[in-house]
Amino acid sequence: MRRLVSAENKPIAIALGFILVILLIGTGYTLSTTGTAPLLSPNYLLQQLQIGAFLGICAAGIMMVILLGHIDLSIPWTLTAAAMTATAIGGDMAVPTALAVGVAVGLVNGIGVAWLRIPSMIFTLGVDTVLRGLMVAQTGGFAPQDTATPLMVFLAKERLLGIPAAIFVWAAVSLAIVVILTRTGFGRAIYATGSREAAAYLSGIHTRWVILGAFVVSGVCAAIAGILLAGYSAKAYQGMGNVYLLPAIAAVVLGGTHILGGRGRYIGTLIGVILIVLLNSVLSIMQMPEAGRQIIYGAVIIAMLLVYGRNQRVLS
Amino acid sequence: MTDVIIEYRGISKHFSGIRALEDVDFACSAGSIHGILGENGAGKSTLIKIMSGVLQPDAGEIRLEGRPVAFASPRAAGDTGIICMFQELSLIPDLTVADNLSISDPPRRLGLIDRRAQKARAEKLLARVRCEDVDPNALVRELSLSRRQMIEIAKALGRDPKVLILDEATSALTARDVQTVYDLLADLKSKGVASLFISHRMHEVDALCDTLSVFRNGRHIETFAKGEKNGREIVKLMIGRDVEAQFPPRPPARQQAQEDQPLLQVSGLTWEDRLNGIDLSVARGEIVGLGGLDGQGQKELLLALFGVLEHVGGEIAIAGQRGGPASPAAAKSGSTRMALVPEDRKTEGLMLGMSIADNLLAACQARISRGPFIDPQRARQAVADGIAKLQIKAGSPRDAVMTLSGGNQQKVVIAKWLMIDPDIILLNDPTRGIDVGTKQEIYRLMRDLADAGKAILFYSSDYAELIGCCDRVAVLYGGRVVSEQSGDGITEESLVAASLNIDPRAA
Repeated sequence: MRRLVSAENKPIAIALGFILVILLIGTGYTLSTTGTAPLLSPNYLLQQLQIGAFLGICAAGIMMVILLGHIDLSIPWTLTAAAMTATAIGGDMAVPTALAVGVAVGLVNGIGVAWLRIPSMIFTLGVDTVLRGLMVAQTGGFAPQDTATPLMVFLAKERLLGIPAAIFVWAAVSLAIVVILTRTGFGRAIYATGSREAAAYLSGIHTRWVILGAFVVSGVCAAIAGILLAGYSAKAYQGMGNVYLLPAIAAVVLGGTHILGGRGRYIGTLIGVILIVLLNSVLSIMQMPEAGRQIIYGAVIIAMLLVYGRNQRVLS
Repeated sequence: MTDVIIEYRGISKHFSGIRALEDVDFACSAGSIHGILGENGAGKSTLIKIMSGVLQPDAGEIRLEGRPVAFASPRAAGDTGIICMFQELSLIPDLTVADNLSISDPPRRLGLIDRRAQKARAEKLLARVRCEDVDPNALVRELSLSRRQMIEIAKALGRDPKVLILDEATSALTARDVQTVYDLLADLKSKGVASLFISHRMHEVDALCDTLSVFRNGRHIETFAKGEKNGREIVKLMIGRDVEAQFPPRPPARQQAQEDQPLLQVSGLTWEDRLNGIDLSVARGEIVGLGGLDGQGQKELLLALFGVLEHVGGEIAIAGQRGGPASPAAAKSGSTRMALVPEDRKTEGLMLGMSIADNLLAACQARISRGPFIDPQRARQAVADGIAKLQIKAGSPRDAVMTLSGGNQQKVVIAKWLMIDPDIILLNDPTRGIDVGTKQEIYRLMRDLADAGKAILFYSSDYAELIGCCDRVAVLYGGRVVSEQSGDGITEESLVAASLNIDPRAA
């Protein structure tokens, strides 16, 4: 058993098991009330993945930063700023401009954390607030009247070969992250720096550039999520990214990435995202009132982390 | 043994199927200094952890003064007077010296910590370990490693031990502090305290202990009074095989004139108040030692050469090119490459939680990549080569490096740097706290590397190593080279004299 599931994969296995439990409970509920099992239909699952894409792309980016032992709290307004810029610019330049916003925010975060040595929790929170101020100043505090470009709408809503295009975007982002983390020197340097920055630096790794790079990836991912989300609702609006920060961090951590950095696999983050999306969905199918959903949602996250923690202590 | 204070019978301990201790009988008498010898992985650490209540044995019984006891925690062991000073420093860096000294049971008044009593207590303990120069209100993080280790000893003393366990207590100490520890242990002995002394430095064990026990492969091999066996026999017991000379032979004195220029030339190097004008040169094929008391600028010199420190004054020339590297990344690349084996392998040398393979490849990513992508074939090959070259004893390269013994961990650090084929190798006390067998392998490796044309700069806190390994030794004092000795002129007396800067004629 110990050979079968290594310490690193244990949280992933647990999360996977929990997804099955959620599906079983949800299906049991629907069978007993309506006699159908919509949860297991491919259409329902694809729809969940499409919704999950926004969260998944945010989580992919923030995972790079968490692997370094840092955090990126500027995700919500990076996402919103990218979306608002895209709709305001419009035309062919909408998507590239939004990505540039993500790169710019990532550069600012990276310079603040790596060169100015300001703790990321404070610095990115500050950047988030500044971005919010900028967006309010630009729009006057109202939802902008501009609409998303056809490309954005296509990416977010249309289907390709019967599969939502957003899932392809998520898959492409995922593939890029996996390749970065497992196949490039940059990826190995992220793990090394997150594991022990002093040792990484003394091994001749450009730790500052690694931190900068990770924040840029995080910013770009938030921007991509912003582009999709604006396409999905056909426009950008104030606070559209607010609901993604905590679930994105939760998904990364539920997937087994160590919150202090150095350890974690991308597949775990993927499973963490699916877990959170399904949990939300099943709770709403069960017509749980909002307050109850919040309580269960939070309790599940805490309970699962407790289980991981106990396992790690026994194994080490 | 007349006055047995603590006795262990048939102690066994297994970790997930791997035997750490097997049926160990061991006893220790009041008023003795008992040395425990064995290579890393021999079971010493496990034994100590069982003694101090950190681990519980799978089988066997413990008798304290004839009564069977079981310790559920270090606290329980400490309450009965069994105090352990661990190899891993257990001080909290962000608390003051006084706080640390009284951490387990601070003096209280009305339930609150009595700071004045705590400070007085700290002063008394510091005086006992002759560290009066340490301010009780100083933060531990501001102290040198050597001072911290003395504080650790003071902390153990403050808990009134009946059995005092010193695990590598002297590994980072300067010669003067080692003498203080000797005196302390002699004093404790006269008061009937049993001291268990674990050290890899044979001459210390020899000078200090009255009884010796040798462990090997989780078994207690033999216990004997000091003087019954000579050093050679003891080493043989420890490693289970014969050893020849401890150090590889030094080649005949080199002709400096052969070299048109040294590979590494330092003149007038300064940095803050730690380095005050260092002049030094290292040629290809040469091992130059850095001697002196701890904290005389040796560490800073190595860091300055490696490009870690900012605002370094003076001049560094590498292969005739003026100007030192601006960062470790610059130091390890270019035509003349530099490597540094840092002081603390656990925090500076290794990413402990990562795999052996990842650690081995941490410095040479550029060499195993095509463009931004790592070539898995070349990476695997490099890892296999590194493990084979240094004979690292590891289950799988994918295991976390923290599962290795100290000696094998240090080998990983060295192997990591050999992957970039460095020309200049800087070593900061590379044999601290590792076993005899591995030490000898490292000495031999250093000599082989020098013979292959590398320039090696080697700081060691162990005089025997400097004498045995180096072609030349530069002794540092107050951030300056006060003496340079070479070949057979390097003796313990001359090194000690120069370290204390008491004989200017030695310069």
